[in-house]
Amino acid sequence: MSKLELPKITWCKKCVYPSPSAIPMHFDEDGVCSGCKVGTEKDEIDWDERLEWMLELVEPYRRSTGPECVIGVSGGKDSYWQTHFVIEKLGLRPLLITYNGNNYLDVGWRNLMRMREVFNCDHHIFQPSVDVLIRLNRQAFRRMGDMNWHAHAGIATIPMKFAVEQNIPLVIWGEHGFKELGGMHSHNDLVEWTKRHRLDQLQRGYDWRDMLDDDEDPIQEKELSWLEYPDDEAIKRVGLRGIYLDMYSRWNVKDQVALIKEKYGWEEATEPFERTYRTISNLDDRYENGAHDYLKWIKFGYGRATDHVTKDIRAGLMTREEGIELVRKYDHVKSSDIYYWLNYVDRSEEWFDTIADTFRSPKVWAQDTDGSWHKMNIWDEQ
Amino acid sequence: MLKRRVIVVLYLLDGFMTRSEVFRIHQLLGHPIHHVERLVEWDVDELIVIDISTDTPKFDTDRDDYRYKGPKDLLGFIHQISSNCRIPLTFGGRIRTMEDIQLRIQNGADKVTLNAVLDESPDLVREAAEKFGSQAIVASIDFTRDGDTAEVVTHHATKRQGVTPVEWAKRAEKLGAGEIFLNAVDRDGKASGFDVDVIQSVVDAVSIPVIACGGAGHPRHFLACLEQTNVAAVAAGNTFHFTENAYPNLKTFLKSKRDDIR
Amino acid sequence: MTSVSIVELGIGNIRSVANALKRVGCEAAIPADGDELRAQAPDKIVLPGVGAVGAAYAGLEARGFIPVLQELVIDRKTPVLGICVGMQVLAETCEEFGAHETLGWIPGRVVKIETGDPKLTVPHVGWNDIRATTDDPLLANVSGDHFYFCHSFAMECPKEFVIGRFEYGRSFVCAVRRDNVCGIQFHPEKSSGHGERVLRAFVQG
Repeated sequence: MSKLELPKITWCKKCVYPSPSAIPMHFDEDGVCSGCKVGTEKDEIDWDERLEWMLELVEPYRRSTGPECVIGVSGGKDSYWQTHFVIEKLGLRPLLITYNGNNYLDVGWRNLMRMREVFNCDHHIFQPSVDVLIRLNRQAFRRMGDMNWHAHAGIATIPMKFAVEQNIPLVIWGEHGFKELGGMHSHNDLVEWTKRHRLDQLQRGYDWRDMLDDDEDPIQEKELSWLEYPDDEAIKRVGLRGIYLDMYSRWNVKDQVALIKEKYGWEEATEPFERTYRTISNLDDRYENGAHDYLKWIKFGYGRATDHVTKDIRAGLMTREEGIELVRKYDHVKSSDIYYWLNYVDRSEEWFDTIADTFRSPKVWAQDTDGSWHKMNIWDEQ
Repeated sequence: MLKRRVIVVLYLLDGFMTRSEVFRIHQLLGHPIHHVERLVEWDVDELIVIDISTDTPKFDTDRDDYRYKGPKDLLGFIHQISSNCRIPLTFGGRIRTMEDIQLRIQNGADKVTLNAVLDESPDLVREAAEKFGSQAIVASIDFTRDGDTAEVVTHHATKRQGVTPVEWAKRAEKLGAGEIFLNAVDRDGKASGFDVDVIQSVVDAVSIPVIACGGAGHPRHFLACLEQTNVAAVAAGNTFHFTENAYPNLKTFLKSKRDDIR
Repeated sequence: MTSVSIVELGIGNIRSVANALKRVGCEAAIPADGDELRAQAPDKIVLPGVGAVGAAYAGLEARGFIPVLQELVIDRKTPVLGICVGMQVLAETCEEFGAHETLGWIPGRVVKIETGDPKLTVPHVGWNDIRATTDDPLLANVSGDHFYFCHSFAMECPKEFVIGRFEYGRSFVCAVRRDNVCGIQFHPEKSSGHGERVLRAFVQG
């Protein structure tokens, strides 16, 4: 039998991120990824000065009554940290806003419910019709191999939409995920939220309108008004602006989690996940560490364990060798929440697998004559 | 009255939109299509797209879970962005032959920028100006600065030319270029302001329009360049990616200060 | 629906013009040569161009467009719109890179722009406001608006054919008309909403 020719993959020499990746990433001449390089900026930044910049920035948004900013919260570790920071360090009164896409784990929901008890601020939760969500789950899975498109879109839309409706110009986001993981921006750019980034990256080019012309899982325009992003005129009228906390305050997950546990009783997952070793991430969405992430493995040949290992290597919490072992253990696992999801959307595993396979990237996967899929692995690199 | 232009530069690397710093550090910002959509909505004065891919360009953006199919090559890319692009469009990067120029102009470009050609085959500049008109040929001049001395560099700032931007610009004008796109390599991505001295020296030396680029990070930088030099246009890339409605906000600011902005 | 043919002048940015026509609701045909143009017998003709006049005219000649254009535009009075270099080829003479032959439908000559002020550089590139000098429908409702220009040469012609002007150190002609033949120096296809208004006026007029 002739040996199967596998597409060439290279991995960052410092972390474990692969070149074709789900996020835009660039490798330099030394084979180091932009994410690692941007990460090193953190040691050179004067973070005390950054805090001063941020205090200066938020000053015009202070008011004597009503909320002074919006924070989109899921109840996760970052939500707690942001809310803590905004109240304690910035002295602002936030309004908390949540998109509930019906995917919460019990522990994540408990954390979310606790927010209005431990923080002195109001909390607004938006929950779309479950019937619409199920159709969106199915349609997005078929069309883009991602049942959680509604979650990306909801999280990226609802806080901004509410901010405009409530006439609150300042929205404070936490981590710029694409900067942090892939090194999309420099910390020196002081990047803010844009409509373009929302559509291009967070929603992968699909807006709510694109979901309307599907025959198999039809959705009406009137059912999706909640996903309609404010237009430029409204943005201008309100002066809407979204800033990222991690451009102004050094993001340190370990310390942040310790603080929110102690001070606010935040809970991590009680049971381990099947696809990653971390128990502090993605408690707000059962598929983010499971079915959704398994699809990332199908598409790009890696998953959440690679993401978490990468972050932990950069934070100095583990070596690359230790990380590779974790990637080997977790990235390929087909998690059992897939069956939970299939029950939710009333479809079969065969349906799932057949559709999922159509999204395998030819830059990563090769199929053998027996139908099995193969790719290069990081532990095989010389 | 001819208004002074505020130009958006879009750097492309393997088909991705790219943040650039000192021409060497590159960070991929995403797919250009939605950025161009925004530029058209903002009715920008002009868009300059520069393909800075060094190896064989891959146009590697295609993925099955994205709304739009990624173009396979430059032509596909041009078609994708120019179909709704009702704004002036200039293409640069990887242009070495008459065919390269023709391909771009026939498919949506109003002008092309030439950089390495100024070094490798100056005759091509002359021929191109004759064939397509001087107005379609923009000489792209990159320079580095060491103290008071500015020196031209070409080929993605990897080849030193040992001449000043003034000399290089005069030569380009003589060859038939209709415009100068002047970029300060050391200021690229640094948001430290335009190099007004070098810019004005080039403006004084030639009688064709000069576009200044490199260093813009704040609306005040654009204003300073317009006030302190006679450039026909100010240009920037990175800064228009960083904040919401960065371009229209900049225009509103500049219009409040000057009457030569559209 | 009005049928429009775009006649390519040598090397031109015809795709932009075709796209712009599409935006005003008009699917334009692009004939490869004179015979195809004759067969199309369009209601309107657009002559776009960003090249040099000499190359543009040579391109028309090489593909046999000249006699067919004469027939359609002069004999059958088919409305034609020249854009930029497409306007310049309408003139009688042109001096870009030496004298060139042109269509000669509008008495006038194309000369290098002289502004008399070294600060006003040439080529004239960018957004300039224009002024309609007559009530010609082509420029209805756009007088005072900004359009994108990109040229080193401009047309000079008798006042009776001028319908629009722009200021750049001195006054220049930017729009001409003689019966069914009209030309504009600026690029409507690159001038956002105002440009589309001019194209719509031509297509619907």
